[in-house]
Amino acid sequence: MNTANLALQQTPPLSVPIRFFITAPLFGILASLLLIYIGPDIFSSRWGLNILALTHLFTLGFVSMIMFGAILQLLPVVAGTIIPKPVLTSSIIHILLTVGSLSLTSGFIFGQDFLLRIAIVLLGLSFFSFVAIVGYCLIQVKGNIIIGMRLALLALLITAGLGIGLVVRFAYGITLPLAMILANIHLTWGLVGWVGLLIIAIAYQVVPMFQITPQYNTKLMRWLIPILFLVLLLWTLAYLWLENNKLVGWISILIGLGLAVFGAKTLHLQIKRLRKIPDVTLNFWRVGAVGLLLSIILWITGIIWTELANQPFYPLLLFILFVGGFVLMVIQGMLYKIVPFLVWLHLQNQQLNPLRTVNMIRIPHMKQIISPKSAQRQFWVYLIALFCSILTLQFPNLIYLTGIILLVAFILLEYNLLKALKLYRSVLISIQ
Amino acid sequence: MEETITYTFSKEHTHCDEIFAKAENSVAKKQWTVADTEFNDFHTAMEKHFTAEEEILFSAFEERTGQTMGPTQMMRMEHQQMRQIFAQMQTSLAERDDEQYLGLSETLLMLMQQHNMKEEQMLYPMIDQVFGAEATSILERIRAI
Repeated sequence: MNTANLALQQTPPLSVPIRFFITAPLFGILASLLLIYIGPDIFSSRWGLNILALTHLFTLGFVSMIMFGAILQLLPVVAGTIIPKPVLTSSIIHILLTVGSLSLTSGFIFGQDFLLRIAIVLLGLSFFSFVAIVGYCLIQVKGNIIIGMRLALLALLITAGLGIGLVVRFAYGITLPLAMILANIHLTWGLVGWVGLLIIAIAYQVVPMFQITPQYNTKLMRWLIPILFLVLLLWTLAYLWLENNKLVGWISILIGLGLAVFGAKTLHLQIKRLRKIPDVTLNFWRVGAVGLLLSIILWITGIIWTELANQPFYPLLLFILFVGGFVLMVIQGMLYKIVPFLVWLHLQNQQLNPLRTVNMIRIPHMKQIISPKSAQRQFWVYLIALFCSILTLQFPNLIYLTGIILLVAFILLEYNLLKALKLYRSVLISIQ
Repeated sequence: MEETITYTFSKEHTHCDEIFAKAENSVAKKQWTVADTEFNDFHTAMEKHFTAEEEILFSAFEERTGQTMGPTQMMRMEHQQMRQIFAQMQTSLAERDDEQYLGLSETLLMLMQQHNMKEEQMLYPMIDQVFGAEATSILERIRAI
């Protein structure tokens, strides 16, 4: 057996994660277009179907899409395993997630029940098969990141189960008891459980790794994610049982504090980093941690001072800060490390494979694959879009400008990723 | 506390990371003479670590388990990949090409960190498990070189 083949077996083919990564910005583009299409009417109702479409374009089409790709890529590194038949499995899951997200969001926009019914099947299959396959790969291994990933997957199951239940209400006109409460539980498990816990687990690995910072505190790594998960469970039971009781609010403050510990610790570690050179991922992560902290401050203030929480802008601002300011920030920051590295790694592996290599050439390094300048430019455009979206809450007519800047941000992101892929292809051709 | 392979070798990773960052910071500031020394320190520390692994630690593990095509083979191959980048970094340092150096160091950092992660979380604990209390004698052999 030659060593190159062994290496290739260890990391899944480039197409496995990259298909998720290059699809995600397309959903960001769709979300921006929808924002422009809805216009200032966005503020008329919290549960407007267009808002549901918009939030799911971000959470399913962008966030979950990238998370799926990242997890499939991370498995060999953190768990020493690879999913069975990686190309086939990932393409099935990817198609289910893509078409499912499109049919769900278009079902919301056009009010078409059959699209929602299709979405139930496709998204259900996508999530449950993903959780089953990845869960199976994680069975044999131990460690803090593994526990975090397992609990995040469990949270994804809960989110998906509730989400499907809620869509059944629209698609089949069945009235659910406690629909509003179930919707809040669904979005909390999705954002805090699935996305939040996963980001924390991944951060344990990547924050010290990218900037050479000290490690997160061992006790924190051991306990934060399981405690957050348990508090989420407790909150869910209390909410179902007591509905809008004060106690439910106090429990959710605990969730906020847990996340705040993570945000503050991340900023603290980054201050102590040994690597002082300018880095776009660091920018994304720092703003992300600040976005997280601001969203928690807003959240807790809203619980203590209920008048604030009753303002129509409150849930939107919370969503903008948590998803736009925290989740999307750190995810994009991660892409700028993962994608150039994977392109380099796969080219390097090809070069080492004597059966397929004809010409030995110098493989471009990471900063030649995605230039720091173009990554930095995309960061600033996205940051401006974020500020504009916050201003829009006060000046609704700004929504068109926000939509356009956000559109540019996602187009630039897609452009940067596709350019990396184009370079990959051209170098591959010159090797073979 | 009993000395483990995981503890000792992970500590070496941290040490190498520190000198890596120093050299990179110096190149970014174009303090070339300092960078020369720091890169040299880093390169020497890495080679020493690789040699200890390849000649003593991995060989002992392969001998004991009979697995020569398993994870140690993969780690040896990643060492080779890193050695290629060291050589390119050395050239860019000699040419005083900071842009090239920083692009290479970014790439090396990712390669090195995911390599370390695999070793610290999977391979070293596996080796500790195989050797148990014998780990101390392996560590003594490594110190002797």
